[in-house]
Amino acid sequence: MNRKLRTFLLVLAAAVWAAATAGCAAMSVKPWDRDLMAQKSMTFRPVPHEIAVDEHIYFSKEGSLGGMTTDGGGCGCN
Amino acid sequence: MQLTAAGRPSALRSRLGAAACLLLAAGLPAAARADTPAPAPTWQFDTSGLLYGEAKRTAVLEPTARITRSFQNGQSLSGAFTVDAITGASPSGALPSGRVQTTTTPSGNVKTVQADQVPTSRFNDLRGATDLSWKVPFLRYFTATLGGHLSREKDYQSTGANGQLSVDVYHRLFTFTVGGGRNSDLVFPIHGTPVGMLDTLVMQDVARNGKHVTTRMVGLSHVMTRRWLAGVYASQTNEDGYLTEPYKVISLIDPATGYTNGQLTELRPNTRLRRDVMASSVYHFDRDVLYLSYRYYWDDWGVKSHTLDARWRKPLADGSWVQPHLRIYTQTAADFFRFGILQGDPLPPYATSDERLGPLHDVTIGATYGFHVEPWRGEWTIRGEFLEQWGDGHPASAVGAQRNINLFPPVGVGSLVVGYTVGY
Amino acid sequence: MRRAGLLPAIAVAVSVLLPATGRAHEAAPRPAPDFTLPSLQGSVSLDSLRGHPVLVDFWASWCGPCRKSFPWMNDLVKRYGPKGLEVVAIDLDKDRGLANAFLRELPPSFTIAFDPKGRTAEAYRVAAMPSTFLVGPSGNLIATHAGFDEKHAAELESRIQEALAK
Repeated sequence: MNRKLRTFLLVLAAAVWAAATAGCAAMSVKPWDRDLMAQKSMTFRPVPHEIAVDEHIYFSKEGSLGGMTTDGGGCGCN
Repeated sequence: MQLTAAGRPSALRSRLGAAACLLLAAGLPAAARADTPAPAPTWQFDTSGLLYGEAKRTAVLEPTARITRSFQNGQSLSGAFTVDAITGASPSGALPSGRVQTTTTPSGNVKTVQADQVPTSRFNDLRGATDLSWKVPFLRYFTATLGGHLSREKDYQSTGANGQLSVDVYHRLFTFTVGGGRNSDLVFPIHGTPVGMLDTLVMQDVARNGKHVTTRMVGLSHVMTRRWLAGVYASQTNEDGYLTEPYKVISLIDPATGYTNGQLTELRPNTRLRRDVMASSVYHFDRDVLYLSYRYYWDDWGVKSHTLDARWRKPLADGSWVQPHLRIYTQTAADFFRFGILQGDPLPPYATSDERLGPLHDVTIGATYGFHVEPWRGEWTIRGEFLEQWGDGHPASAVGAQRNINLFPPVGVGSLVVGYTVGY
Repeated sequence: MRRAGLLPAIAVAVSVLLPATGRAHEAAPRPAPDFTLPSLQGSVSLDSLRGHPVLVDFWASWCGPCRKSFPWMNDLVKRYGPKGLEVVAIDLDKDRGLANAFLRELPPSFTIAFDPKGRTAEAYRVAAMPSTFLVGPSGNLIATHAGFDEKHAAELESRIQEALAK
């Protein structure tokens, strides 16, 4: 499979997954049930200054690039 | 006698290079979203210090300071400054030979290495790096971030810019993010740039070498249940330019005995296409939180890797917390990785003995402890980690004396990070 | 497949999901769901407040924008309370201790009710935290707003003035 096609399909798959799970609206998380998500520890990398440190260490010892993380979660307010 | 040039081993050069700047957004404190539970402090200071040491090799001291200012309109500006002091010895790429090796630097220093020890070169260097970024929320559900980076050391300079756009959709249960960055690096080795794949040092007629790195990323996160946040992420990085490590060498091996008998300067292709995908999960158990992630990486140099990362955050009675960490990593070698080249064999177009591009595994074990100290209002964190890396040091291609030596001996690395975060 | 295919895919995904983001909207006239909930003063029911405009606010201690809405509601009570405005702020915290800490920090001059299971929030179809509902003297919903920001607070205030004028 050619690489551009693979990337495109990955993004499309993510969008389809998002749309499909969005359809489960009745079952999804209510706005007043975001109490745990609102905590500072509920994020992919809870200690931000460790991210750059880890990147340096692993970039100097391994042949691959670090996986970044993405935004998300939170209290969902406003 | 073998000639080897003095000067910085390039393990550092790459280390201090492009990738760090492209992760600007990742290092920012989680602040100033429309929905943060506590209002973002007007001023936030994050400082940290890294102390890092490899047994008999490198030692690094790296303090960092970051200031973030948040505004009433939800925007925030953040700047950071890092200083990196590094000293020690790094492998040159030459193999342990089964007999005593003597090397001479251009300045006439003679170095003797034991029969089974990995030859290294000494160095020390100081690097400064600064980055600035600006976060803007708009149209209620969007957040844009723009950043710039500059770093400089004795023989390496890196400048870059990056941007990221994220949008919250469907009752803010999903966050979709796209981002990109571009870095331009310059390498100007003090003693010149050697021509690759040669057994003597012949310098190219170039004062400096350029390298461009372009990164694109896309991510999607989803609040799956009240307790469970999950995310997927994919990125692609294109590198273009001078990607070789100027002073790394590859040993030439006598096919009859297996002893090393000279060396070649290494040479790598001048483009590299890298991709990775990652899945992450954060799960709240009412008090404790479990963080899990898996990443698969592959590139057109033949390197493929798997990374599994797990952290467990446990709040303690007095408001402090402890977070043990386990990371497991495994990687296949680059297509042009060689432990050594047999004399008489035709030379490949590219070759490297840099162990970072070799077949390796590593495991990291550590823990972070977060706590407050009266009367300071900020939070302290202390993290101790130990990393053990090893590879397949007895490849089938080993000949003669090479068979009796571990060509990829285990390396242990210890690191200590102390951090302090406070907001006003 | 050309790289151009990536951008339309992203655009499609975002445009499909963005409309469903729970923005503020004007409610079609319908009676506000009645509720009887425990409060700091014992209990409060919406029906017992018939004849007054009532501002029903749903909040929680972990909700950042709620820290701005409380001073605003205190101000409304000061200016419109004597004219007949009633304010009921319904707390959706699962942990009463967290709510108490919030109330110590931002003391309210209005009624606080507790709905830890979220049943009243469900009846009101709360779409984001915080949410504010203006109930007219007749018991009908006049206006709703999801989230809190100064601009929409001003709009709500003018609807309150209209309701009090009648």
